Amino acid sequence: MSRLPGAMFIVLSLAVAACAPVQPFPADVMNGVEKEFDFTAWRNIPNARLGQKVQLGGRIVQVNGANGNLTIIATQLPIVQQPAYGPKDTGRRSGEFAIMYPGSLDSKWVKAGNRLIVIGTTKEAKTVVVDDVQRSLPSLSAQCLHIWNTGGKEITDFPYNAGGGYEPLEEETHCAPQ
Amino acid sequence: MTRLQRQAFFTSLCLLSLWAPAGGEEIGPVRHSQATAPVVAQAESSRETGTPSQQPVAAPPGGTSLEDLLLQKGSITMDEWIQIRAEQEYSGAESARRIDAIEDWKTRTELLPMLRDKVNFGLNALQFLYSHQDAHVPEGKSQDNFSIRRSELLFWGRISDTLPRWHALMEFQSINFGRETPAGGSGAATGQPIAATFFRESYIDFRPFQSWAPYMNFIRMGIFRMPFGIFTETSGGLRDIISSPYLTSVGSGNGNRTGSAGTIDFLQERDFFVDVRGKLFNRLEYVAGIMNNNNFHANATGANAPKSFYTRVRLFGTDVSWISFTTIQGESNNANTNINGRGKGAFDRYGLDFRYTSKIIPGFMVQGEWWQGHDGANQTTVGRPANGACLDQTICGGSGAPGAMRRTWYVLAKYLISDGPFQNWEPTVMYEQFDPSTSVSNDLYTRTILGLTYYFENFPPKVQSKIQFNYEFRHHQGNGPGVAYDATFDAFAQNAFLVQFQIRFM
Repeated sequence: MSRLPGAMFIVLSLAVAACAPVQPFPADVMNGVEKEFDFTAWRNIPNARLGQKVQLGGRIVQVNGANGNLTIIATQLPIVQQPAYGPKDTGRRSGEFAIMYPGSLDSKWVKAGNRLIVIGTTKEAKTVVVDDVQRSLPSLSAQCLHIWNTGGKEITDFPYNAGGGYEPLEEETHCAPQ
Repeated sequence: MTRLQRQAFFTSLCLLSLWAPAGGEEIGPVRHSQATAPVVAQAESSRETGTPSQQPVAAPPGGTSLEDLLLQKGSITMDEWIQIRAEQEYSGAESARRIDAIEDWKTRTELLPMLRDKVNFGLNALQFLYSHQDAHVPEGKSQDNFSIRRSELLFWGRISDTLPRWHALMEFQSINFGRETPAGGSGAATGQPIAATFFRESYIDFRPFQSWAPYMNFIRMGIFRMPFGIFTETSGGLRDIISSPYLTSVGSGNGNRTGSAGTIDFLQERDFFVDVRGKLFNRLEYVAGIMNNNNFHANATGANAPKSFYTRVRLFGTDVSWISFTTIQGESNNANTNINGRGKGAFDRYGLDFRYTSKIIPGFMVQGEWWQGHDGANQTTVGRPANGACLDQTICGGSGAPGAMRRTWYVLAKYLISDGPFQNWEPTVMYEQFDPSTSVSNDLYTRTILGLTYYFENFPPKVQSKIQFNYEFRHHQGNGPGVAYDATFDAFAQNAFLVQFQIRFM
């Protein structure tokens, strides 16, 4: 009988751990991050909220620049916990933003369609060319990026629904060099 | 009010109405043209009306347009000013009409199922194969063969969060009638071809509770690649070598009394099943379900067979490296089966697989599988009569062999060159063994495959166009001790060279 509480404690601990939310970034990176950042307001008046540390999810639209100084244009997507943690396409267009990443990334991570979550600091609006159209977009200076190599598919499509078989989803966290 | 008063009131109204048109003319453009300010006021007034046709005629910063300035400076006349404005309004209206038409088209097309992810289609694999086989072939056949290895179209869609996937895979060379093993003695007629199965895969995913995902992600029901190991679950359009591994099928001809000969389908790639899938700790994937255990042809030839339970747990070290444990437990039968090498009685499989995808050496991957399992007595080859566990081959047909424990394993390694003159080339090497009966000697199949792949497009899992060159060193010891064996015509004992050109796009 004395073993029962211990066994129950282990089972409960495992259950809680099994269902714990996913956190791809180190704890120190997450310090001071505003998770409920109002993207719409920022998009409307980009320069009104400078210097805020925020977390945003999105889908890569285009990548400009060379290694060592990348500008990633992303469409903002809401970050969800279910059915799989990450940015989820809800079908509504919410707008693009620019991510300035002062580092180099392998080309497979920065291809259009990949999903990402960025931790960064808001900067002044940046003029970029998207699909041959010059636009002024709100911008972030990225501290860390977590990228899913989805190639345009949903995160939930992996590993069982991506093609006609099993295909694990590559994902990786990249932080800017200090 | 008296009658006279009413007449006087209406008379006044009539007089006023006669005067009004004159006043109306005075507040027209002609009157405004007398001064500078009203011109600007008119421009602003036109913006206030807010009609789409007038919106593009917005004044530049400062509130005065070019034609206003020209009019003020006397460079153009009022008539010219009106003409310019009219042209602007006309072009503005035309632009607005075009934008409205585009918006209308966009609204309509966004409702199309194809654009809402409800219906999609793609080319799972279209493969043209050349093969040279060293084994002797019957009269009229050639050692050099051209063929379409796969011609598979894939259809899929997402209905809602509750029904996240429907899926159908058509194999366009599935035109041959399939046959099964008839129940009966050795004198019974052989199984007749009775039906064709056009699809390879057809399933529905059901996610009953969104909040339970991904821990209990979804229930899958239908026909699909079984979650056994790595190879069986990898699409034909994404495989690293051309031939299927021996664990899915090996050998030729009928079985014998030792259980070490004949065609053996150790693990079928697809089956009817219902299972539940999910992920725990963000590191542990699981699958558990029940299957028909009679291959995908069974939908046409008669689906039901003794059922089997299966489960797999896959523990991830990184996002793309793992180790898995699989087991299948249940019953099998040799009568009315669509799978070669199955006997009557208890059926089990135990599997271990791993994949290591290096992040230190990008492009390098190694994977392997080890499988062992038991087939019941009197195993049969599809089409050959059999009758239960009877071991007297002269009466019951089948192989007349007691149950057999089978074992197989392989290791595969590859390296994708990502830069330099050999960019997009990928050398591959694989070694495998298959032992049809662990209690019988001199029956081992071995194969070493040296491969070279060039990728024209490589964006898995959706796109992969490539050409593959494989040379296979094959060896087959025989069909057991004391059994006469001629390797001359045995394709599993003679080397082969294969070239395959593939397109995959979805």
